[in-house]
Amino acid sequence: MSVLPPDIDSASFAAFLEELRGAVGADWVWSGDADMFPYRDSFSPVWNTAEERHASAAVAPEDVEQVSAVVKIARKHRVPLYPISTGKNFGYGGPSPNVNGSVVLDLKRMNRVIEVNTDRNYCLVEPGVSYFDLQRAVDATGNKVMLDCPDPGWGSPIGNSLERGVGYTMPHFRDHFGAHCGMEVVLPDGEIMRTGMGALPGSETWQEYPYGFGPDPAGLFAQGNFGVVTKMGFRLMPMPEYYRTGLITVPRRRDFIKLVNHVNFLSDSGLIGEVEYGSPLSALMGNPDFFVLATKTGGPSDAEMDAAASAAGLPSFQVELQFFGPQKATLENWNYAKDRILSDIPGAAAVDGDHFTLPASEDQLNNTTQPWQTSIKRRRSLGVPSLGAWKIVRDDGHVGFFPVLPRTGEAVFEVQRVLGDAMKEFPTLPPFFNALTMPLFWHTHTFQMVFAPSIKHDDPQHNAITHASMKKCVAVAAEHGWGDYRAAPIYQDDVSNTYSFNNHILRRFHEQLKDAIDPDGIIAPGRGGIWPRRFRA
Amino acid sequence: MITRREAIKWGVVVPAIAASSQAAFARAPQGLDAFLLDTRYVENLPAEHAAITAIRFAGDVTRPWFDTLDHAWRRRGYVLGGITGSDALFVLEVLAQQHGRRVVSQQQLGEKNERGVYPVSWVIAPVHPSVTA
Ligand SMILES: Cc1cc2nc3c(=O)[nH]c(=O)nc-3n(C[C@H](O)[C@H](O)[C@H](O)COP(=O)(O)OP(=O)(O)OC[C@H]3O[C@@H](n4cnc5c(N)ncnc54)[C@H](O)[C@@H]3O)c2cc1C
Repeated sequence: MSVLPPDIDSASFAAFLEELRGAVGADWVWSGDADMFPYRDSFSPVWNTAEERHASAAVAPEDVEQVSAVVKIARKHRVPLYPISTGKNFGYGGPSPNVNGSVVLDLKRMNRVIEVNTDRNYCLVEPGVSYFDLQRAVDATGNKVMLDCPDPGWGSPIGNSLERGVGYTMPHFRDHFGAHCGMEVVLPDGEIMRTGMGALPGSETWQEYPYGFGPDPAGLFAQGNFGVVTKMGFRLMPMPEYYRTGLITVPRRRDFIKLVNHVNFLSDSGLIGEVEYGSPLSALMGNPDFFVLATKTGGPSDAEMDAAASAAGLPSFQVELQFFGPQKATLENWNYAKDRILSDIPGAAAVDGDHFTLPASEDQLNNTTQPWQTSIKRRRSLGVPSLGAWKIVRDDGHVGFFPVLPRTGEAVFEVQRVLGDAMKEFPTLPPFFNALTMPLFWHTHTFQMVFAPSIKHDDPQHNAITHASMKKCVAVAAEHGWGDYRAAPIYQDDVSNTYSFNNHILRRFHEQLKDAIDPDGIIAPGRGGIWPRRFRA
Repeated sequence: MITRREAIKWGVVVPAIAASSQAAFARAPQGLDAFLLDTRYVENLPAEHAAITAIRFAGDVTRPWFDTLDHAWRRRGYVLGGITGSDALFVLEVLAQQHGRRVVSQQQLGEKNERGVYPVSWVIAPVHPSVTA
């Protein structure tokens, strides 16, 4: 489906493309259906409907000077650009833009790992560098540092962190935007800016001290549309000597509340990495009576769930803990965690898990020897990029809603009940929220929960249910103070609308900034729910 | 950017590798640089045929990608054939597109399972001038 950028006819569009070819070379500009197919969001719930967002063309510059030239040409022609790094943002919009007819600014050719510093533990990369590329560069240092990567390794540190994406190792590395230090950005007028110490000519601390002097605008470029990021630094964890795992189970439903508080303490004290919460009662979901109980409107009572657990001889909840550090320290930290939790929660039990020297062998990465049925995905837990996550994708993909909620057991139970009840309107969906749905401890200091209904390219009715349920989830969650952390372009206005304190002052502030530096909306208009004057009118 | 001639050429290859049997594998024509065989769907095939290497994997594309394709797709040429699950093909297709390559031909070989995954045979060939041979 060929589209044009807003307010432009095909002759002017052709002239615009010609100018782009002059800037980057004829081979690096694409338009037309076949070439643009890869820039569609293949996980879109509005696939092949009028709501689907299509780009008109794509351009792939080779370096920052070419990015600046492309931005200047777009500004002259008032054509919106949609920058992507590796374009693998599946579940959150893929590579497709907010505005129909935008030109994708594909930064895949800018794929240089500029530095991996294993004395000061950071890297500096371009947008087209994938986690696999970075892993190769780390391998070349003799594996002196450990990456923290998302489930699929084909994305990029820059694209992922600009979405505030997450990984699975120690707390302060998991929040990928939080772990960045220093960026270079091409602004909507084509000027090249560096943040933090990068603004001080001759400084050698760009990747060490993020702030420099004065206000730090770096946050504007995450989930924002104020510039094209062309370099970014990231902190890297020195490769820990040792890795250790342990399992804690608790017998009763209410024990979960104390368990969460203990795990919060361990995490905020820097003693543990990412944890996997779970419920051994999940094994009973195949039993129709138990299924009805766990998905009951208004939620089951604690007594009902405890009775089911004791009848099955199973604990109610469990948490898998992971420790990184010197061998002795991991053992001491595990012993400390066991003592702390078991002495406070009657009936809690602990099981020692796998432990070994890092880096892990291929067998250890395959994670087949845990003495319990584990939910830990060892590769991502140890920062090893992989594509194995694809086995969790059903049908032709999914969209994701991951609300941010307080890090308490009570909040988890409330989300289970409120969103479980709300989603009963869509009986064909799997029961994402039920009495066993567990929180994700991805971001350093908060919980999230998962709602990820699937899409099917050949089933518009199925997709319509997914689309309607996403909108409802966003709305109902917001009524309870739980907000989405990240959204596909088709949901960004819905989500932005929920962050409405003081008559949407946050959005109005962003709009004022956008109007000041990009009133025509050259960079990703609509991203993050921020529309410039031209598109608001 | 794929030409009609190329489409016809690779269109001929796919039926030849379509069946997941030893005989079909043995009939595979010249012109491929490697086969990717997903052991969830293809078993008991030799490691090599007509000097074409067969790379085996069990649905997770990580090792073929990291060990072989990531290197091969940075250079010119390299036509890859495969019999895999459609999930693995999706991953490969997205990676291929980023490297100037495209699925130039494909054929569904069986029914969808409960996850919507089905066996498929395919050819991925270079189409962008920066990587065509
Ligand atoms: C099965 C599965 C598992 C997943 N697991 C995870 C996970 O564990 N953690 C996680 O975080 N995500 C996960 N994802 C989502 C997604 O795949 C990753 O976040 C992925 O890293 C994002 O794609 P990317 O890195 O190529 O970013 P891109 O697609 O390149 O970028 C994302 C967005 O950021 C903006 N952007 C990108 N580059 C720039 C730039 N240089 N300048 C300005 N703006 C820019 C654009 O708006 C772009 O659309 C998962 C997805 C699936 C399907």
